Amino acid sequence: MTDQVIFDRGYRTYDGPRTGPSGARKAVYKDGIRRVLGLRRKAWLKIIPWGLLSVGLIAAAVFIGIHWAIGNIEESLREGVPTYGGLFDFYSAISLLFMTLAGPLLLIPDRSRGVLSIYFSRPLTVDGYLTSKVAAFVTVVGAIYIVPQIVLHIGLALIASEGFLPYMGDNLDILWKVPVTTIAFIALNGAIVFVLSAVIDRTGIAAAAFFGLLTAGGGIAARVAEASFPGARWASLLAFDQHPRIIRDALFEDTVEYAAEQAGFGVWTSVAVVLVVVVFAIVIVRWRYRRLA
Amino acid sequence: MGQSTILDVSNLTHDFGDVVALENLSLQVPAGITGLVGANGAGKTTMLRLMLGLLHPTSGSMEVLGHDPQTEPLAVRARIGYMPEVECLPKDQTAADFVSYAAQLAGIPAREAKRRSSETLFLVGLEEERFRFLGDFSTGMQQRVKLAQAIVHDPDLLLLDEPASGLDPEGRVQMLQLIRRLGEFDINVIVSSHVLTDIEETCNWVVMLDGGKLLRSGPLEGFEQLGTVLVEVLDDADVVAARLRSKGFGATVEGQRFVVGPGDETLERAIVEATAAASSGLVRMVRGSASLEDLFLREEDSQ
Repeated sequence: MTDQVIFDRGYRTYDGPRTGPSGARKAVYKDGIRRVLGLRRKAWLKIIPWGLLSVGLIAAAVFIGIHWAIGNIEESLREGVPTYGGLFDFYSAISLLFMTLAGPLLLIPDRSRGVLSIYFSRPLTVDGYLTSKVAAFVTVVGAIYIVPQIVLHIGLALIASEGFLPYMGDNLDILWKVPVTTIAFIALNGAIVFVLSAVIDRTGIAAAAFFGLLTAGGGIAARVAEASFPGARWASLLAFDQHPRIIRDALFEDTVEYAAEQAGFGVWTSVAVVLVVVVFAIVIVRWRYRRLA
Repeated sequence: MGQSTILDVSNLTHDFGDVVALENLSLQVPAGITGLVGANGAGKTTMLRLMLGLLHPTSGSMEVLGHDPQTEPLAVRARIGYMPEVECLPKDQTAADFVSYAAQLAGIPAREAKRRSSETLFLVGLEEERFRFLGDFSTGMQQRVKLAQAIVHDPDLLLLDEPASGLDPEGRVQMLQLIRRLGEFDINVIVSSHVLTDIEETCNWVVMLDGGKLLRSGPLEGFEQLGTVLVEVLDDADVVAARLRSKGFGATVEGQRFVVGPGDETLERAIVEATAAASSGLVRMVRGSASLEDLFLREEDSQ
């Protein structure tokens, strides 16, 4: 019989490199992406994010298929099928659902479960923490907007009658219009969902408040703007969901008139509204977290 | 423990509006395991939050590991591990993932963080459970994870806020054993607790707070020396006791026995002299170590 020895591994000191605040911010960023996508979490937490991502990609493939099929019948008919600008409405719906999930998930559990006390005992500032959360949000939500558009762009180029490279050359403007529109959608919606998630302590309530504000709220504001009392037109600016669409339409030269446009406001007013909402969100969220820290 | 003084506080006051949490505190804490004791509301957690740079003192100054937490909070926090009293674990992560994440938050590269996470969870006795989700953990296991995340990045100083809070007697004993072990690994520890027996079992330095004021700061051995002495004399116990009282010692007589003190090592000499002066004989003289609780209550009364 051999002697059995139990080794006590004890505690190992660490003399290696320490990445400091930048490493802490990177860790929060990576954890934010994992949390939103349900990675390294229980299986049911993966269903919604990956389901929405799949729908976005499948939709891009379907639109390419429609363009290809119609193009085979009659090339001119393809002009009636939505492309980049038109598809933003579809991806906005998916992204809205995704942001409804992601915003509260990124901020509220850390607060409600007391994890902030761990974060702020590390070399991490409030601004570093919030910046990393925003970066994680923008990365994932941006991917939902951009990746299907890239798939669509490459797909349309592949089936284009004029050939891949000529199509790419003719549509160079897509390379900046899509990102700018994406920024407008993410900036406005993201700012709102971050404010709500910063001041509401229940993920379900914050998600419902955001979804309600962006869907029903926009409709109500548009109705109020149509009323006859003095200054009613200003209520149209509270139809927040419409401002990114107004910016998108200006870029993609679409002709739909939203409430703010009907009330006489131009695209630059919508840009201003987006900026004001973003600045308001930065002030409120920072104020809230500085108090918590 | 490279640093001889880990905490240096000078005339520190902190208030929350009308409520003064800490009042004109001056103390130094050496390397080792230090107990920060006091009743609830004594200012212990405020003290820890000031050390982390999360609160700013109203007046006075503080140095932690040679850094001012008000001007260099990130430098201080990079060298500190903190175990909060409150719930602080995300339920949707495994213990291994969370402790690894905590290490990365302290600046440890990802691969090394994973390795240290496993080792640290082994150290706190959770090697078998490390891939379970934290939401499924018992209170005792959660306390161990909280300790693991605080030590995973090899801090120079560990701040433990009520580490045995909510634990059953067995869990409490195991937690205190773990804390003592950390001292053996040369990790400086400041343990905040209102359970004085926990401090007695683990610490070699004690800081007593009451209502935001410093009652006492000193080595635990020094506290023990302030115990009482049980004395038995052949006769005239009242006379011997009266002589000791005249020298400023308290004395309670029961027959030929009496209890004198508290007092330091000069007490025994005074007893011998008083017995001799009363022409009595000394049968026995036994020093009893006062509990930290006795001393705390005594200090509290004398304030």
